[in-house]
Amino acid sequence: MFHYFHNHLQAFNRALVRIFSNLGSSLMMFLVIGVTLFLPSSGLLIVENVSQISNNIKYDAELSLFLEKGIKQDQIDFIQSALNKASIIKKTHYESKLTAWDKLQTKLNLNPLNTGISKNPLPDAFFISLNTFNEKKINTLIDDLSTIDGVENIFFDAGWVKKLRSILYLLKIGLAFLGAILIIILIVVIGNTIRLQTLTHKDEIEVSKLIGATNSFIQRPFIYTGLIYGLGGGLITVLTLKLTIEIFNKASINLEAMLGGTFILKNLLWQQNLSIISVAMLIGCFASFFAAHQSIRKFEIFK
Amino acid sequence: MINFEKIFKRYPGNMDALQNINLEILPAELVFVTGPSGAGKSTLLKLISSVEKPTSGNIIFENMNLSQLETRDIPYLRRKFGMIFQDNKLLYDRNCFENVSLPLAINDIDGIDINRRVRAALDKVGLLNKEKIMPISLSGGEQQRLAIARAIVSRPSILIADEPTGNLDKEYADEIMNIFYSFQQVGVTVIISTHELPITPIKHKKIHLIEGQLRDQINNVPLLS
Repeated sequence: MFHYFHNHLQAFNRALVRIFSNLGSSLMMFLVIGVTLFLPSSGLLIVENVSQISNNIKYDAELSLFLEKGIKQDQIDFIQSALNKASIIKKTHYESKLTAWDKLQTKLNLNPLNTGISKNPLPDAFFISLNTFNEKKINTLIDDLSTIDGVENIFFDAGWVKKLRSILYLLKIGLAFLGAILIIILIVVIGNTIRLQTLTHKDEIEVSKLIGATNSFIQRPFIYTGLIYGLGGGLITVLTLKLTIEIFNKASINLEAMLGGTFILKNLLWQQNLSIISVAMLIGCFASFFAAHQSIRKFEIFK
Repeated sequence: MINFEKIFKRYPGNMDALQNINLEILPAELVFVTGPSGAGKSTLLKLISSVEKPTSGNIIFENMNLSQLETRDIPYLRRKFGMIFQDNKLLYDRNCFENVSLPLAINDIDGIDINRRVRAALDKVGLLNKEKIMPISLSGGEQQRLAIARAIVSRPSILIADEPTGNLDKEYADEIMNIFYSFQQVGVTVIISTHELPITPIKHKKIHLIEGQLRDQINNVPLLS
């Protein structure tokens, strides 16, 4: 076990030596990984912040129940009692056609004599707040209510917040796709760099094979190199995100007077930052393993 | 120790590099594989160290048939040999100490032991005072001695040298040969391929190849040729 760790420590040291001996190109690799991962990470930052806002907005799903024109009071009372019995209804508000007509005239400053409307065009209505967003339960309720005599129309108002959440959900899917594509690009870039490194260490690989090194022994330093690339790139992504948030928030505060409000971006959670770094390291590790494995196999001297 | 039984080796598109080779190498033997260029000397050494695989026939080493060796077992077999090449195959981006310590790192030897054994190997070939020097600043003979130090550092029971003096003048060549003789004297099997048989007072076996065929296999060659 000691030898195993000693061996890995040696490989890690060899990787560090390689990185420091090519510091310029190593820093470039950190930047490439950092900037590439910054794109989906900044998207995640925006989505997370907007999601928090939408989660903080309290709203209820609402149903609007419009009744038939000539409906009698008895029937309205019956509908009211039916609504009171439904378990997913939080509260109901009855708006008679007369009240609605008055409100509308006041709001729009209408005079029936001037508009030529002699009759009240509005129906009696119930406005119902629900205590669930479960579409199956809501649809069952709508189906039940539509069978009651006197009910003309039922409208389900999902609300703009729900639409916003749907958009955020779509954005998250889009970001996942973007992230996947960028990860593939990173795998190709890191893999290619590691492949070139195996070519520059061709003599070392061949000699090592001749004197009894296994393929896993030879590829270990290359894998650690990829892992360190990922770590460097991931740290750059996290630091760039932090810097972006600082700059954005400062600008937002400065523009408060002009815009009449501020939008302050919140930092990602430390777990999310750690995930970004871990993903970068995993990408580096996977890409370098794949590239080194393929490349070292080609140097096989056994025929 | 090593037995060749009806060994044939053919490279794609070429004639047979080796044809029907039957020979036996005993422990602690000094063996010279001689012959002109293209006779198959290097191929024979590569077959012993499993750098090449025979087209047909069996190579038996320590009760293992090297012809049927799995690819994954080859690295462990190679660790039993110390190998020296004509172009010495040193790593020029590492100093003498790091070059010699490479086989020990591969063999999972720990740090303190590495220091001790590398210095002993360098001392054996007379390069102890040059452990921090890069190989490029060594002479041809010193580079070959460094390659020998790398080959012996893991204390193999068999040394295989492919034309180790091919690029050296006579003085350096004699120096290198004397190092090999000293190892054979302490019980190491030494197999050396060379164009011409060196003049040596030490008992040895001569394997002479011409166009891939074994022409001579003379045991216990007299003390002076």
